[in-house]
Amino acid sequence: MGQVTLRGIGKRYGSTEVIRGIDLEVQDGEFMVFVGPSGCGKSTTLRMIAGLESITAGELLIDGKVVNTLHPAARGTAMVFQSYALYPHMTVAENMGFALRMAGIGAAERARQVGRAAEILRITELLARFPRELSGGQRQRVAIGRAIVRKPSVFLFDEPLSNLDAALRVDMRIELTRLHADLGTTMIYVTHDQVEAMTMGDRIAIFHEGRLAQVGAPLDLYHRPANTFVAGFLGAPRINLIDCPSAHHALWQQWLQCQADRPSAGRAAPSRLGVRPEHLQVVPVGSGVPATVVMAEHLGDCSILHVQVAGIAGLFNLKSVRDSGTFAAGTLIGIAADAASVLAFDADGRRLA
Amino acid sequence: MATRSSTSSSADRLAPLMAHLLVGVGGLLMLAPFWFMFVFATHSRTDIFSLPPPLWFGDASLGNLQILTSRLPFWRNLGLSLYVAAASTGFTLLFCSMGGYAFAMFEFRFKRALFALVMGTLLVPSFMNMIPTFMIMNALGWIDQPRALFIPGAANAFGVFLVRQFVIASIPRDLVEAARMDGCSELGIYWRIVLPLLRPALGTLGLITFIASWNNFIGPLIVMRSPEMYTLPLALRALQSPVDTEWGALMTGSAIATLPLLVLFMLSSRQLIAGLTSGAVK
Ligand SMILES: Nc1ncnc2c1ncn2[C@@H]1O[C@H](COP(=O)(O)OP(=O)(O)OP(=O)(O)O)[C@@H](O)[C@H]1O
Ligand SMILES: [Mg+2]
Repeated sequence: MGQVTLRGIGKRYGSTEVIRGIDLEVQDGEFMVFVGPSGCGKSTTLRMIAGLESITAGELLIDGKVVNTLHPAARGTAMVFQSYALYPHMTVAENMGFALRMAGIGAAERARQVGRAAEILRITELLARFPRELSGGQRQRVAIGRAIVRKPSVFLFDEPLSNLDAALRVDMRIELTRLHADLGTTMIYVTHDQVEAMTMGDRIAIFHEGRLAQVGAPLDLYHRPANTFVAGFLGAPRINLIDCPSAHHALWQQWLQCQADRPSAGRAAPSRLGVRPEHLQVVPVGSGVPATVVMAEHLGDCSILHVQVAGIAGLFNLKSVRDSGTFAAGTLIGIAADAASVLAFDADGRRLA
Repeated sequence: MATRSSTSSSADRLAPLMAHLLVGVGGLLMLAPFWFMFVFATHSRTDIFSLPPPLWFGDASLGNLQILTSRLPFWRNLGLSLYVAAASTGFTLLFCSMGGYAFAMFEFRFKRALFALVMGTLLVPSFMNMIPTFMIMNALGWIDQPRALFIPGAANAFGVFLVRQFVIASIPRDLVEAARMDGCSELGIYWRIVLPLLRPALGTLGLITFIASWNNFIGPLIVMRSPEMYTLPLALRALQSPVDTEWGALMTGSAIATLPLLVLFMLSSRQLIAGLTSGAVK
């Protein structure tokens, strides 16, 4: 079992409030990802769940029991640190077996359990080594192994892959997802990498300035963001947002038209509209809204175009899968939006459903 | 042009020569007292004052040792010195490592003020402590007790500071938190995680403490009253008098007193220097 419930959880350091009331239910066996910009309170929240940071408001429940003041070791959680935090003076086997030793489990049983965890992570041949004799990826495995050995009901990860190079990160991402499928244990995973968030999580909790901006399944958040913050946070290149003051502008009119065509229309007038780069198309000059290519990034499988639309400050991103490589800076094009995918937001940034 | 290059090249040749000469002379001046101490230790008093003085070893060392042991409870003084230095080192390592770790890793009330207080003791000149030390030791009934030499300095500002800096620089907080989550008690974290990682700092602190205790003269002078409770520096000083100083015996005693430090230094000079400069370069 590993159900984690946060009820109005808050944290203040002296007079600064860094977590401002978080309500969240993490189901047993769920892979929950915490994501958000730097300093938004992901780590602090995770550390409060772990018991490494005191909770100054609200209630934390694990499997229905309030654990606000329970010692970290007694909560049934195991944490994998960004720095790995392996004990430098102990071998890999001693590192992994340390918690068992603290629990008074005998050497033979310890060796058996460590051996089994090492097999899962394919680090059996490293057991006699010291952490300084391991590569970054191997250290990461050992840190995960140390968590597995404890058989926790909840795994907590704080940006565990951020010290690895890009290729290894992809491998470990897949491996962690597989591990989650095999173990079926609840995992709470902090990252600022939105690819990790989108691909690994059953659900994503997006943090913003100590609050939850939105919680939901990855594609739900992507397609139906609750507000402009979530819309802007997920997706690279960023979603294109356009403000109401340019109400008479062609682009606004076009997007508004797309909105109006949608069946769910007939509500308050939006004050901002958003379209993701992949939902903007290049159309022949003359049709669509005229725009000038300022910069084109040709990535091989697609091109990212940064275009200037007359009368609007700032550039628009659009992702073109066809015609890769044919646009140069200065090219005149027309742009048009997919009718179905224009998002509308009210004056406070909330999406109009 | 030509002259300039020739002078500079001769200066180039001269500079290292001068440097070697300077270091050589300096080294000789530093070593001379040691040399004469060991040489005089093997000569009788009259030989020492002959002209020219003896430059090479003689054969009076056993006689000197006899004089030494008849005038002083020399072996007892030596043992006491060893005991006090060892106890002083042990207690200092224990308390300074605990204090330094606490100041580095824990948040508690009045932490800044307490730390300032500890550091402030460094500013008090040691001679100002002499009379209060005597009065306190007297009040405690610790006069003529070895513990008066190793208990008061056990938690000292220098040691606490050294350990604190080392913990801040090289023991990540994550490590302590990982151990906490692994179910290790706070004392267990100190003992199993922090102490092993503090080894370089403790090695340095231990050496410094041992040497300081071994050479301590003022401390025993204040708290030791009876000659059989003297440590070596004090006992050897008691051998000197205006009229009748057994210089040969004194030198023998001094030579014996130097030996433990020499051995210690040879075993650990690398550690000592490494510890003092650790953190200076990363
Ligand atoms: N000990 C502390 N005292 C005061 N403020 C703190 C303390 N620890 C963290 N904070 C503040 O709390 C906020 C949240 O920090 P936190 O580490 O949770 O951010 P994060 O979301 O994990 O960011 P990152 O992605 O950079 O790791 C930050 O604004 C930080 O400045
Ligand atoms: Mg963080």
